[in-house]
Amino acid sequence: MKIISKNWNKMDPLKIDSYVKNGGYEALRKVIREMKREDVIAEIKLSGLRGRGGAGFPTGEKWELAAKTKSPENFFICNLDESEPGVYKDRTIAKKNPHQIIEGLLIGAYAIGAKHAYIYINGHYQKPAEILEIALNQAREKEFVGGGIMGSPVDVEIQIFQGAGAYICGEETALIDTIEGKRGEPRLKPPYPPVSGLFGKPTAVNNAETLANVPYIIRRGAKVFSQIGSSVSPGTKLFVLEGAVKNRGIFEAPTGTTIQELVFNSIYGGGVEKGKDLWFVQIGGASGRLVSPAKMDQPLVYGAGDCPLGCGSVLVVDKSADPKDLLFAWADFFHRESCGKCVPCREGTFRLWEIAKRLKNNDLQKIDRENIEEILWTLSNTSFCPLGSFASVAWTDAIKMFEKEIFR
Amino acid sequence: MQIKINKKSYQADEGETILSACKRNKIRIPALCAHPNLSPSEGVCRMCLVETNQTRGLVPACAQIVSRGLEVFTETEKINKARKINLELLWADHAGKCASCRRNRRCELQNLAEEFKIDEFKFVPRRKELENKDELDLLKDNWEHTVLDEKNQSIARDSQYCIECRRCVRICRDMQTVEAYGVNYRSSKTNVGTPYEIPLDCIFCGQCSAVCPTAAITEKDDIEKFEKVLADPKKMVIVQTAPSVRFTFSEEFGEAPGTFWEGKLVAVLKELGCDKVFDTVLGADFTIVEEAHELIKRLKNGGPFPMFTSCCPSWILYVEKYYSQFIPNLSSCKSPQQMLAPLVKTYYAESEKINPAQTVSVSIMPCTSKKYEAQRPELNGSDHKDVDIVLTIRELARLLRKKKIDPRKLKEKKYDPALGISTGAGLLFAQSGGVMEAALRTAVEKITGEELGKMEFEMVRGEAGIRCAEIEINDLKLKIAVVHEIRNVKKLLEDIKASRASYDFVEVMACPNGCIGGGGQPVPVNQNIRNARIKGILKRDKGMPLRKSHENPVLKKIYKEFLGQPGSEKAEELLHTKYINRKK
Repeated sequence: MKIISKNWNKMDPLKIDSYVKNGGYEALRKVIREMKREDVIAEIKLSGLRGRGGAGFPTGEKWELAAKTKSPENFFICNLDESEPGVYKDRTIAKKNPHQIIEGLLIGAYAIGAKHAYIYINGHYQKPAEILEIALNQAREKEFVGGGIMGSPVDVEIQIFQGAGAYICGEETALIDTIEGKRGEPRLKPPYPPVSGLFGKPTAVNNAETLANVPYIIRRGAKVFSQIGSSVSPGTKLFVLEGAVKNRGIFEAPTGTTIQELVFNSIYGGGVEKGKDLWFVQIGGASGRLVSPAKMDQPLVYGAGDCPLGCGSVLVVDKSADPKDLLFAWADFFHRESCGKCVPCREGTFRLWEIAKRLKNNDLQKIDRENIEEILWTLSNTSFCPLGSFASVAWTDAIKMFEKEIFR
Repeated sequence: MQIKINKKSYQADEGETILSACKRNKIRIPALCAHPNLSPSEGVCRMCLVETNQTRGLVPACAQIVSRGLEVFTETEKINKARKINLELLWADHAGKCASCRRNRRCELQNLAEEFKIDEFKFVPRRKELENKDELDLLKDNWEHTVLDEKNQSIARDSQYCIECRRCVRICRDMQTVEAYGVNYRSSKTNVGTPYEIPLDCIFCGQCSAVCPTAAITEKDDIEKFEKVLADPKKMVIVQTAPSVRFTFSEEFGEAPGTFWEGKLVAVLKELGCDKVFDTVLGADFTIVEEAHELIKRLKNGGPFPMFTSCCPSWILYVEKYYSQFIPNLSSCKSPQQMLAPLVKTYYAESEKINPAQTVSVSIMPCTSKKYEAQRPELNGSDHKDVDIVLTIRELARLLRKKKIDPRKLKEKKYDPALGISTGAGLLFAQSGGVMEAALRTAVEKITGEELGKMEFEMVRGEAGIRCAEIEINDLKLKIAVVHEIRNVKKLLEDIKASRASYDFVEVMACPNGCIGGGGQPVPVNQNIRNARIKGILKRDKGMPLRKSHENPVLKKIYKEFLGQPGSEKAEELLHTKYINRKK
């Protein structure tokens, strides 16, 4: 079952006709000609679609909140910051089928009544940004974007905003701050963006993959969509398989697929690489949890289970990997990407990185063991935003799972 | 509404934060980024984390709004653990050079470290100077990054002490709208500073140094200079003390704010070995008489209006940098400090037959900006440097502690009478609205030619950011305004620019409540403390035998013997100045 990646190899991303021929912009036409804003939101709510960026917030609810908040102006933002290590699904959608994102964004903007929408793309993704720009221009020529869409009185202008490429800017309030021209740092919540977001106006921020699902839901109906995959969070998900697995790359699978299946089924990972011995998998990038082979039969869904699906990366690690290298890589990443706003994350990730360095050099001090525990605790319990607690997830799991190997 | 804090019931207001409810009910919650002068909090330091029955995990008390049925716990094991670990992390990021630190014993971080018994380094201190080679290797990749900014005369910054609480960023942006500070870099290299780390280029009000919890931002230290001249037998050290510091000096020695410590202040200066101690209030009286004269002149000549007061150097700099079109509106009168000082080096030196080159003029001020003002060449009226050294009251207290001089144990002394007689009007300069009130006392009498019945002008008193009034003097209607804090100043200037408002005479102070809330005043400070200080001033003014500047006998004598009339050529030369367009 494929929704997002279905036509990837049949389509020319640089030609809008290629997308239109495959049913593209039909959903937009349907929405604008036949549906009221409330109906669109109701349809998305009914579909059970949840955000594909990591947190898995119900998309329809977010739209409803943004639409209901009274304001003379509101905004819609597509989050294409995608900075989690080991994930490259959003930028791949942008490269292979940019119009799918644009169409989803237009429908979303229409639903909440936004006249101005942004595609916020990580500044490192030059090629995808160029392709999006071309697609946007073609869509504008065809009157899908801009003033009076398809002859209707609906106006939606889309602007591509290239971020500077910080991990924290994937967090929606930090992302909003950078569009406002400020330093990218998370805001205090509440208020949440659907109530007070960009320039203090109601703003819906959705991940690119989430939006790419929207045209399908409108075309086929919420019912059809809600029957795909797990009932908790229906639909499909792009998984990115990396590491010691035979088939690497992006695989679209229904939600609720187990880790076991993703790694071993021949249509997905096809098993562990020859001659390698599976150790564990990490789900959801550097901030994801570690899963031992014994627990790989759990289904991956949003909103349930003890292993969050996150952004959908599956890193397969075999026994030849050095746990100290892994610990260092995680600590290094979060230390580098901490925005520096709150004390536990700014100082804690730095101290963890220091310790990871000593660990790697087999120079661990006696006090470090105690410090590790305290830092991980304070990161997960006292950080300002989720990034701080993310920084402790993999370390905490790793120490629980192979304490002996690390500290021997 | 009723809420429960640590199992006891308390009253809380709708919409307030847990921190503010706790504070009002005297339940202490440590906080390093929240500050009573600043709201709302940005929740950066994580010191105020509490647990509640309505939230999962720890929440910052400075940001969490109270709600019905709320139960708060402020001292659980989990909370104390969180505070201690985060403090340890901060402590290791801090310079930790307490013994030599300007804020020693007055540092919020140090106080918390003491409270949480953080006396050893669990982490290798980031900025410790390491001798051991192994330790050096360990820190090879350590991102050491310190910024030392001593390029201006007012404010010193040393990022070794900075704990990135961002109070300075917020007060400069929200209260003063100058936005001199921002956040540079990210991760552990995050540094609060100026854009591109250029030297500080602001209005030097020093509010950042008043809210800084550590010694990262302080007044530029001039104690050594002062000690040097005190030790020089050839120099005659002549000191003046600002109106406001006699009401705040006591706070540095544990006494209540607003305590009147004029005699103590004179006594400690004499104890330090100063030859003469004069009163800036006399300078203030001169300012009033000259300013009233200027106002009457402008009324006769038809402007330009409004006329702005000119005793706040930060305000002057603000106009010169950001609103240069208003330069002609500034009163040409110098500030009290800069009026008294040239009189010391001319009139006083002449009458006492002292070589002015051998005198050193020192002033004790509530203000970091006065240090900058003293360096402005166009303010020199005598042939010498009018003011040689400016110390904030904080610096004086530091020097006294160093010298083990305890003002509580000294007998009160009087100012040297030659330039040491003051009036209640001059004392009012210490607070926002005071210059206006003092000026009115003189101007009304000068215009009507009759003695003023009621001395108090209550309409210019109070806390509001902009206070306006219309005063009738015979058939003249004078529209006046009193404004403090630059955010309010900016609003007023914009209103004038857009013709939404018009005034004849406006008093401006850059700091909250005027000099009493000055950037060089003792810390900690909040609205209650400032109110207590103001109470002290008003009480003192009421009890003064002389309450109008033009009645000051010393002032009258100096006009008679030396200056001639207000606005005379000599007065213009010594007591008035020009301004420079510094538009950026």
